[in-house]
Parts: sequence; structure tokens; C-alpha cells
Amino acid sequence: MLLNRRGFLGTGAAALSLAAPMVRAQGKPRVVVVGGGAGGATAARYIAKDSEGAIDVTLIEPSRSYYTCFFSNLYLGGFRTLESLAHSYGTLASEYGINVVHDWATGVDRDAKTVALAGGGSVPYDRLILSPGIDFVEGSVEGWSLAAQNAMPHAYKGGSQTELLKAQLEDMDEGGTFVMVAPPNPFRCPPGPYERVSMVASYLKANNPTAKIIISDPKESFSKQALFEEGWNQHYSGMITRIGPDFGAENTSVNPADMTVDIDGEVVNAAVVNVIPAQKAGLICESAGLTEGNWAPVVPETMQSRMDENIHILGDAAAQGDMPKSGFSANSQAKVCAMAVRGALTDSQVFPARFSNTCWSLISENNGVKVGASYEATEEKIASTGGFISDTGEDAALREATYEESIGWYAGITSDMFG
Amino acid sequence: MRTDFATLALAATLAPLAALAEELVVPDGIMDLDGDPAYGAYLGGECAGCHQLDAYDGIPPLHGLDREHFILAMLEYRQKLRANPAMQQVAGRLSDEEIAALAAYFNESE
Repeated sequence: MLLNRRGFLGTGAAALSLAAPMVRAQGKPRVVVVGGGAGGATAARYIAKDSEGAIDVTLIEPSRSYYTCFFSNLYLGGFRTLESLAHSYGTLASEYGINVVHDWATGVDRDAKTVALAGGGSVPYDRLILSPGIDFVEGSVEGWSLAAQNAMPHAYKGGSQTELLKAQLEDMDEGGTFVMVAPPNPFRCPPGPYERVSMVASYLKANNPTAKIIISDPKESFSKQALFEEGWNQHYSGMITRIGPDFGAENTSVNPADMTVDIDGEVVNAAVVNVIPAQKAGLICESAGLTEGNWAPVVPETMQSRMDENIHILGDAAAQGDMPKSGFSANSQAKVCAMAVRGALTDSQVFPARFSNTCWSLISENNGVKVGASYEATEEKIASTGGFISDTGEDAALREATYEESIGWYAGITSDMFG
Repeated sequence: MRTDFATLALAATLAPLAALAEELVVPDGIMDLDGDPAYGAYLGGECAGCHQLDAYDGIPPLHGLDREHFILAMLEYRQKLRANPAMQQVAGRLSDEEIAALAAYFNESE
């Protein structure tokens, strides 16, 4: 239905020609979306779908195959294949008429309202949506930098880093030690590190049962803590040790050259070190002058930047209030944003913003738990209006049903993102 | 295929209804509300974060759902007569008008 409005997969020369202002669609308002994950892909798809061709939508995303970060822990545990986490942008281009440009957006000229591309040229916008996800705070873990991400992977962006961590896990010597350096708040996917520990433990229990896992964690407490700790005691007794701030976890450094981790003076020789550094909004937010501290503040009702009304910011990068940084949250925010953008550009009907989030985690085979909440927009922030969490002591049938539900959710959200 | 999915969804939706029907309170007039499908389309965005619209993979699909059955299922969740806390959370903040809007949208959607 929206075919053939420049519905190509933009590359090279195509991307450059797109950038030239003279080829823009006649008089149509232009939306540019940076980042093709749960926020950006969803926003692009909803704007294209619901505007029925009235808005020109360009999606800038460097990867041709997008690997979801959500469910990547299940790949580490052996419950998903890497291929099952990969998604293409072909349907967004062919069925929704979105101009998909595979390039890096390197900067924003807010006065000229253009986005610069690494491949050259720039793309003009009337509204810009930034959904760049996270980048890492340099120096947040002493001894670690991006140069060390092969020796000590973060695996906190989907794809090759996840694959690398899985390969290192499979290569561990018998009885070796897996160390995770967990991040301080706030960070992407609050239960993520602990689901990862669960999945690593599940793999090791079956393949390397004398191996150990140490978590160095600067936080006093963490998401779904009672559920994870109950599961670890039941299923991985004696395998997992978490060192918190009371035992000096904030004083942790790593040495990628000799694969050691120093936790408050105790030096651990590790077979695998998974460093998940402190996080901040994707770099383009900072370079565009849209951040305060590490994150980009937004107006809750529309997800507009508080610094620039022509720019909306979604997902992990946004400082929005109570929602956790999750793919589900980004997808939810994207639909509110898409409605607000259409309302501003085409006078379409706008309804009050509402948001929701649910995060499922797998603790052991068929043992799923979840946490979730509803949210509304206030002047000040996106505010929680109530939530729920799985109970400790639930029976196996309920846990299996929760896991089955998470599989359905994965199919649902990826269909909502990529069409 | 769509009929099969719709039947599956309906079966999942209605399974616990018989045992609980005597406890369910159906607000006066909700079945006669003229739901706004445009509002339903927006509200349905929340549903689409988990539910596929026309395929079953652990969570029921929503397109083509019978209006009355959808309304009853939402009321059951809103009154916590059905067990799923995620759906109780979703339905818990839906007004009668919003349930009617969603029912109109999903009933009309292909």
C-alpha cells in the first residue's frame, strides 16, 4: 500500500542521493529516525503505517541485520540460536515505504535541521527521532576500555559481542571462573545482568559443573533479587558468589592482559570476564547538545527533548522518569511519540499518552519470571501508576507458562518493530 | 488460517469463563457502548507490544476478535478474576469506554 516511495534499502550512492534536498518528496513533512531498535524501528513503522504516505520517513541504522539485545541471554544459556535473534529491515522498506539508510548518523545540525551521515551528505528533517540506545562511560571500570572489549566483552549490545561471550563461555577450562563486573544504576535492562548469570550458570551446570561465577556489583540491591537468589540457591547451589558494595565491589579494577580482576584487593584469575560498564545515552545525544549528565531529558507527554522541540528521544537514551531502560519501554514510548509526531505534522488525532513495561527473565530451563508496570505522563516525569512482580515459591507450571508467554512476547514485539 | 487463529484466541480467552461467570460484574450498558475504533487503534498499540495481531506463538492474536467475548475477557482481568498479572495490569486502567473502543477496533481489524 505504501510501496515505491523511495522504498529502497539505501546504501552508498543511494544514501547520498537521498541526502540531497532536491530529491525530497513534494511538500511532505519529513521524519528522520536514528537507530533501528525497539524505539526507532517501532516509531518509524507506526508513523509510516498510520500516516498512510502523508509523512516521509527515513530510518538511519548502520546494521543490515539487527540482533536484539533482549533474549541474548537465552542464547548464552543455549535456549535460543543467534539466528533467531536477527531481524532485517526489508519489510519496513518494502511494505511501509520507509527509506532505510544503512549508515552511521554522526551529528545533528539543529539550526539547519539536518542529520550528518558518516558516508557523506546529510538528511533534512522536520522532526527528528533519536533512539540510539546506550554507550559506555569511559573509565567507569578501571583497566577496561573499548580497546579491551574482545578480551573482556560487555555483550551489552546485541550481535558480535554476544557471540564472542558465548564462545568464551564454551572455551572455559574445567573448573574455571566466570567474573561479571555489573554496572551501577541506571543501566539498560535492570534484570539483564542477573538473567545472564542465571543462563551462564545453566550452561556451566550442564557442561562445566565445577566452574564458578563471581559477580562484582556496586549496587546494594538489584531487580527481581529475591526471585533470582531463590533460583540460584535451588538450581546452582554453591556456584554463584555475589560481592556487593559492603565487600568493596565499588573498588574493582580489571587487567585484560593477564585476565585478572581485582575486587578491593582480592585478585581473581578469571577464565572469562564480562565487564558491563556504567552507561550513558548514545553519543549522538551528547554531541547534539541534548543531554544533562549522562542522559537526554524528555517531555513525558510527547517524548520531545527538553532542549529542542523538533527532536524526540526514545528508549534507553532518554531521562524520562520511572520507566526502566528496556526494549519494551522503548517500544511503548515509540508509539506515544509516533502519535505526537503525526499530530504535529498532519493534525491527526492525539490521545493522552500511556505507557507500559513488562520484563521477563529466565532463571533456569522453563523457569520464567516477570515484572511489569503501567505509567502515565505527568508534567515532571513518566510516573508509575502501579505494577506487579512474580512471587517466590511459584509452582513449576506457572513458571513454565510465564516462560512460554515470554516467547510469545518476543514474537509480538519483533513483529511490532519490524513488521 | 485467520479463522483458526481467531478460534484459538477465543478458546484461550474463554477457557476460565464458565467457572467464574457468576462472580463477574458486567457494568450496565457496556455492551451497548459505541466504541471509537480510532481510539481503539491507539490503545491497541499497547497490546501489540506483546500480542501478534494474526499469529499465535504463546500469546493469543487479537485481530478479528468477537466484540462481546473481548469485553467479557477484559472485565474479568480488570476484576482480577483471571490470573495473569500482566493482563490484570493492562485491563486495570481501562475504562468501560476504552474497553469498548478496543473491542470495536479489534472486531473491525483484519
